Amino acid sequence: MQLSATHLWMIPALPLLAAAIGSLTPRGGRQLAAGTAIAAMLGAFVLSCGALVTALAQPAVHGYANFAWFTLGNEVVRVGWLLDPLTAFMAVMVTFVGALIFIFSLGYMKEDQNFTRFFCFLSLFAAAMLGLLVVNSLLLLFVCWELVGLASYLLIGFWFHKPAAAAAAKKAFLTTRIGDLGLLLGLLWLYHVRGTLLCYDGGAGVLEQGSLTALAGTTVAGGFALSTAIGLLIFCGAIGKSGQFPLHVWLPDAMEGPTPVSALIHAATMVAAGVFLVARVYPLMLADQALASVPVHALTVVAGIGAITALLGAAIAVAQNDIKRVLAFSTVSQLGYMMLALGVGSWVAAIFHLLMHAFFKALLFLGAGSVIHAAHHEQDVRRLGGLGRRMKATFATFAVGTMALAGVPFLFSGFWSKEAVLHAAHAWPVSSLPLLVGLVAVVLTAFYMTRLITGIFLGAPRTDAAADAHENSAVMTGPLLILAACAIGLGFIGTPAWPWLQSNLGGIVVELESIWEAPGLMLLSIGLVVTGLGAGWAVYGRRRNVNASSVDPLAQAAPGLFAVLAARLGFDEFYAATFGRANAWVAALADGFDRRVWGGLVSLLARFGEFSGLLNREADEDILNRGFDRASAAVRGAGQTYSRAQAGETHGYLRTVALAFVVFALVLLLGGVR
Amino acid sequence: MTAGGTTLASALAGEAALVAGALAVLAFDLTGARNWAAGARWRAATTLGGVAVLVALTLVWRVGAAGPAAGGSFMLDALGTASRAGILVLAGLTLALTNGARRLRHPAEFVALVLLATTGLLVMAVAQQLLLAFLALELASLSLYVLAGFDRTRPESAEAGLKYFLLGGLSAAFLLFGFSLLYGLTGSIEFTAIAAGLAQPGLSPLLAVALVMILAAFGFKVAAAPFHLWAPDVYEGAPPVAAALVASASKLAGFTLLVRLLWPGLGAVAAGSGLPGWLPVVALISAASLLLGNFGALAQSNLRRLLAYSAIAHAGALLLGVMAAGAAGPGPLFYYAATYGLATVGAFGVVSVLDQAGVGPGITDLAGLHRRSPLLAGCLFVFVLSLAGIPPLAGFVGKFLVFAAALRLGGLHSPAGVLAFAAIFLSAVALYYYLGVLKAALVTATTPDQETCITVPVSAAVTLVAAALLLILLGLLPSALLGLFS
Repeated sequence: MQLSATHLWMIPALPLLAAAIGSLTPRGGRQLAAGTAIAAMLGAFVLSCGALVTALAQPAVHGYANFAWFTLGNEVVRVGWLLDPLTAFMAVMVTFVGALIFIFSLGYMKEDQNFTRFFCFLSLFAAAMLGLLVVNSLLLLFVCWELVGLASYLLIGFWFHKPAAAAAAKKAFLTTRIGDLGLLLGLLWLYHVRGTLLCYDGGAGVLEQGSLTALAGTTVAGGFALSTAIGLLIFCGAIGKSGQFPLHVWLPDAMEGPTPVSALIHAATMVAAGVFLVARVYPLMLADQALASVPVHALTVVAGIGAITALLGAAIAVAQNDIKRVLAFSTVSQLGYMMLALGVGSWVAAIFHLLMHAFFKALLFLGAGSVIHAAHHEQDVRRLGGLGRRMKATFATFAVGTMALAGVPFLFSGFWSKEAVLHAAHAWPVSSLPLLVGLVAVVLTAFYMTRLITGIFLGAPRTDAAADAHENSAVMTGPLLILAACAIGLGFIGTPAWPWLQSNLGGIVVELESIWEAPGLMLLSIGLVVTGLGAGWAVYGRRRNVNASSVDPLAQAAPGLFAVLAARLGFDEFYAATFGRANAWVAALADGFDRRVWGGLVSLLARFGEFSGLLNREADEDILNRGFDRASAAVRGAGQTYSRAQAGETHGYLRTVALAFVVFALVLLLGGVR
Repeated sequence: MTAGGTTLASALAGEAALVAGALAVLAFDLTGARNWAAGARWRAATTLGGVAVLVALTLVWRVGAAGPAAGGSFMLDALGTASRAGILVLAGLTLALTNGARRLRHPAEFVALVLLATTGLLVMAVAQQLLLAFLALELASLSLYVLAGFDRTRPESAEAGLKYFLLGGLSAAFLLFGFSLLYGLTGSIEFTAIAAGLAQPGLSPLLAVALVMILAAFGFKVAAAPFHLWAPDVYEGAPPVAAALVASASKLAGFTLLVRLLWPGLGAVAAGSGLPGWLPVVALISAASLLLGNFGALAQSNLRRLLAYSAIAHAGALLLGVMAAGAAGPGPLFYYAATYGLATVGAFGVVSVLDQAGVGPGITDLAGLHRRSPLLAGCLFVFVLSLAGIPPLAGFVGKFLVFAAALRLGGLHSPAGVLAFAAIFLSAVALYYYLGVLKAALVTATTPDQETCITVPVSAAVTLVAAALLLILLGLLPSALLGLFS
């Protein structure tokens, strides 16, 4: 089956249709809403596979189909669809993981009253996300970008009756909006300069050579190339959406949403949209590389932000106690890895890691969801324990996900993609800091995941809820098993021995040399993984006789550091004390100004309005209304008079006709007939 | 005998089917259905008549715009096809509403007369020759006179029939006199030859008299002031279904023949150089109709008389379309006349159902209709709003097309422009009395003696809903009708 770029719109259209149906379904139509949503997602998956087949036939070609959307004055706004391996791989991943998570939700959300609404929102999200992937216009991309933000807002706040969920939804929306402002400015600037936002358009698109040369050749304030400035503004959007430092604060809070949402949106797909965005505009980000005299290259900034985020996320994850928050900070850290890979020049490695991460992180989140569902919504690691014996399928699949995330060698997909990132960082000529940071994060990742898995599954149950937990139904474990199989098997499409994914993504044949060039690096990273796992086991694996209130061994060893990490390095407090305070201050000022100055002016105007209204009413009542009434009465009177004239007397009628004939004839004859 | 590749038989196949249908209805009623109950006889007669109309519609549609036929006596063009199809649809709706008109005796005669009148109207729509036009008009008119006086239980009906006949006789005399003057002046009875004959000499006093006579006769036919006096009495007195036919199909056929006579036939003397042709007369009639129709309607307390005055006002607007047809083609005029016919048939259909249910003829008797029969109230809502010209109903589009065509003739300062402007202004007056009807039907509460529900016969319900849906559809897709003329 093939799907050309012309028909690419059908992929997002299917879930959009399901969302429309879901929105019209009454609350009782649970099966209809869920059924259409899952069917639409499976249909989109089949179509995406078709698109992948089409794209792989010519991996180096950007297939596109552009058309005029609307005309404003002389300006024709054109948009279009874009089909290349990047789009196709992402679409297949999103639809596949999405379908599994939809199915998982059947079980997880079973008891929820607003089941139909949940599936409606999920379908809306899927439509927006797929739309974001298939568009060839940065304008449409921005529209879909905001739509996924909206869907994320709706789903984080799905349990809006919980104050924490409502606050988290607001926080996510506002924080990402800061990044989106940068993105919007970047797009506006780009449109101002180039007059189009189409990515590829037969040489005229913004990502094509002519445009890139022009953008790189223009210098703006501070000695930056124009392409650098626009690229960094677009990157702002990616920082917000992908939870990069310093806008990462919303992502952990977003875990207030239902766990399938965390798995789909805040682990596998939407948060990766920032990475996708940078990969999509990669030619623009690369445009300033050849320039020697710029203060900084756009990609250097990307690498720096990515490295900081990778380390920061991994460090904070060590000290969290909520399962989902550990995984959330792990996501922040892994997204940092991806940005790092983008920054050091290997977008292929970044997308490889993105795809692999989507599978195993969705697996981990769904595993966490399975645990939470079984343990009566208990998600504090300290109050769980010993679940491994009674939840064998969840335990086994969670263990697979953990090993993939930690990068246990050879068998697991995360190992190969992480190696690709680290080798790309190794090959970066500018600085070796990203590589160092990446290696430190490897140890931390292995360590916190060991801590998490031992805390949940090993030892003895520490609360009644944990003791009471039982394995979930097949509708929830089924997706776990499938995702676990992917977390093991999928890595082999990108091993150095057979770099199928890399060569198809980039449209180039990747030489086998790259990863073997530094065999020492691979050995080192394997050693670091073993160190992390061993340390985790040493600290947490052999603890006996712990209960829910036991102090964490790390907190005993270094209470200060642990407290700081547990408080997430105080970012939230810092933002609250600076931006929040400043905002409140400005708001208070504006409020006072509003009340005193403008308010006074407005009430003055209102008085004047009242006065003139009074005058007006008098005039209206006495002059206009009475006049109008009189005119209306006159009109009705005319009708009465006339209808009295027609009394039903046939002789009169005949006379009238004859008279009218004479009058008309006279008009014509006297009117100038010769 | 062929002309333009169309035989007379195929050109008039539709009319033949109607005549055959009329005879079949009479024959069946006299033989097979002689001993049946009244309801069964009505059903049999209207079903047979409906089949005849459907057959005629297919035949007319199949012949299509084949060009001149029978040596130029008929003109089968787009206007002719559209107009004949429109007349048949309106007649069919009338027949469907007739089913169950219990008050009328002799169902077969009624249906046969409707079919004969429709035959005359069909010929009017394609006639291109004075004699044929007159004969068709008379066939239609005579049938309609009888239909108007058909209700022998009510003296008003007989009065209506007599008045219609007397004034119709006068107007027929005018028409025949005018036609004979025209023949005398040009030596021909065919429109094309008349046009050729008039091209040279221009307007003469004799021709002016002929023109006024013809216009007076047509003014009677389409109920335009000051030849409209019969309309309120006839609409009020005649059985509602007969009035529906008079107001819809007959009007459509009259305007088709008028526009065919005036523009291809007498177009040369529309407005002679420096001389007033027939255009000023038409403009005067139009202005009088608009004024008298709208103001007269204001004072009415009887729904049927109100519809009559509304018909007069609409005739004024349609005459504007006639004036504009020379430049804009007959499309807007046909669209207006056809959709006006639909709305009027619908409105009279509602009146007919109410009449059978024993509801009085006054507007105040409509009170609480929305409770007594939501279906009738809903349909009446659509019909009246379409008559008032409220978007998105077809009545709005028709007004818009005709007024736009009139304004394009010579801008705001030309007589047509002033008339169009006046017509738009008078629409506001019209809205008052139309909304008065709707207020009574939809807002006013029932009085204690009006508590009963009104049962609507199935055929009438289907017909009314179909007419309402057509009005909405044609309003949303005007190109469905206008496309016939492009």
